[in-house]
Amino acid sequence: MKKFIVAASMLIAVYSCKKEDTKSTENNTEAKAEAPKTNHKIVTLNGGITEIVAALGHEKEIVATDVTSTYPEGLKTSAENLGHVRSITIEPIMAVSPTLILASDKDINPDLMGKIKSSGIKTETFKQEYSVEGTKKLIADVAKAIGNNDYQKLNDKIDSDLAQVQTLTKKPKVLFIYARGNMMMVSGRNTPMAALIGIAGGENAVNDFEDFKPLTPEAVVKANPDILFLFSSGLESSGGIEGVLKAPGVAQTNAGKNKKVIAMDGGLISGFGPRLGEAAVSLNKLLIENAK
Amino acid sequence: MKTQSKLYFYITLSTILLALIAVWSLGTGVYDFGGKSAFEVLGKVITGDSTVSLSDKYVVWDVRAARIVMAILIGSMLSVSGTSLQGLFRNPLATGDLIGLTAGATLMAAITIVLGGYFKDYLPEAVQFSLVGISAFIGSLLAMLLVYRISTTGGKTNVVMMLLSGVAISAIGFSIVGFLIYISKDDQLRDLTFWNMGSLAGATWTKNAILTTVLLFSFSILLPKGKALNAMMLGERDAQHLGINVERLKKQIVIIVSLMVGTCVAFSGTIGFVGLIVPYILRLIFKSNYGFIMPLSSVFGSILLLTADTLSRSIVEPSELPIGILTAMMGAPIFIAILMKFKKSI
Repeated sequence: MKKFIVAASMLIAVYSCKKEDTKSTENNTEAKAEAPKTNHKIVTLNGGITEIVAALGHEKEIVATDVTSTYPEGLKTSAENLGHVRSITIEPIMAVSPTLILASDKDINPDLMGKIKSSGIKTETFKQEYSVEGTKKLIADVAKAIGNNDYQKLNDKIDSDLAQVQTLTKKPKVLFIYARGNMMMVSGRNTPMAALIGIAGGENAVNDFEDFKPLTPEAVVKANPDILFLFSSGLESSGGIEGVLKAPGVAQTNAGKNKKVIAMDGGLISGFGPRLGEAAVSLNKLLIENAK
Repeated sequence: MKTQSKLYFYITLSTILLALIAVWSLGTGVYDFGGKSAFEVLGKVITGDSTVSLSDKYVVWDVRAARIVMAILIGSMLSVSGTSLQGLFRNPLATGDLIGLTAGATLMAAITIVLGGYFKDYLPEAVQFSLVGISAFIGSLLAMLLVYRISTTGGKTNVVMMLLSGVAISAIGFSIVGFLIYISKDDQLRDLTFWNMGSLAGATWTKNAILTTVLLFSFSILLPKGKALNAMMLGERDAQHLGINVERLKKQIVIIVSLMVGTCVAFSGTIGFVGLIVPYILRLIFKSNYGFIMPLSSVFGSILLLTADTLSRSIVEPSELPIGILTAMMGAPIFIAILMKFKKSI
């Protein structure tokens, strides 16, 4: 019983500390946001944009998001999840009575875009470019759209994180595999993964096509990656490291021979938002560890 | 005359049922009107009351009402096109799908979704948003022309040839769609699948106006064809002897059906089963009297599609199920149930 009470009081203590923390940051942002008064009800339809809005201190104003917006965790309870952006319809958006909709220009389907336009809700679409400069520009654009120009600190954070990325003496060839169970796709040029691999000091293993293509044994052997790279969720769904190593062709590559498989959180890798620097540093560390 | 009054009775009855379903549908949805019911809001919108908030008005009028009307229009057209084709071909499986219209529409839509990025920017903005729809319509018309050319010799259309060439065209169409699916990107793939299973989420009053025009024009020609289709059941030669211009009838029905199917697919994607199930059920209940089941199918198609659409947007809130899944799910069990019931009389 005593143990229980001690444990419970500790829990309460920890919890209240946490609460204090969030309170103080809230106060900070409120103080900063004083000049341009912003009190939106925002719908964000892209993981990276959601992160930017939250990082600028407007997490509380997000009323609904799409399925890719997995960070910050708090949104799971505070905002409605509208599902995948290609299948969202207008009424659930209207149901949260937003004053501002933020999306990437590639995501929304034309039918929904037409509906949003005629509903009269203010909507901003952004071009998302998978690069350091592109991310900084996106942060600036989103900040402008929500009327909070205090975004320099986010860009500085990216820079200071990126400064920690160490140069690798020999660039490892990294193959990103998008796996959902037995279906496996690999990422070519112009994908967030290829861009991140480059920023983190690696080399994307396949560059002869754009976007994603199904993994074929011959293509894997030809690409001969040093390291295989997956979403943590993808790695799990395809049966862990052992499962991936069993995929056709993989055993014949350097990565397969040396059992080099790494995984990171999907939202962190593909978001290209304020945590870009963080993502690059984590990947950089994993690459260095596996280069040995 | 007795059957005539029976028809009016059934039409009135089913129209009342349709109206009730429309009322249920209007009240169904995730949007909250802040204590008021959707009907109060709709009443205020119609009477021009200025106290209605802009978003309330938008949801009740431009989202829900528009969608309900679209479900009624498309359900009716798909169902009547199925009934006409089945009557013409004396084959309970004849639908827009079978003579290749759907395949043609799907192929053109898929081409636009996957390859549209290369030419979209050269087109005016008004066309860009409805590009998929326009190409689906063209696809359906092209498929119809092709089928017609293959199956017509010396001004005479061979019905069996028509069905077979429909099968061939569908095979070509879907194999190219398969290739397009293979080369498509992730988001395009999602659009394709979604579009392949149909959705009424894009309903607008402009689209409804176009659909209504097509419907009025098509029905004014098809609905009086009941007697001619009854005669067709005796076989083409006997129908000819009864004074029916069989070739003209074939041409009219095929052209108007492809117009209707093309327009429907253009606005809602492919929604299966409506054209197959509704006439089949009606034929089982009322026997094959086309003077009877043609007008009835126009109302029952609406009932089926409106029910399916209302369910599709309320089952997995706040998201929605593609409607094609539901029409198949609803249609197939009804189909089986009725088959069982009428087992002996078939």
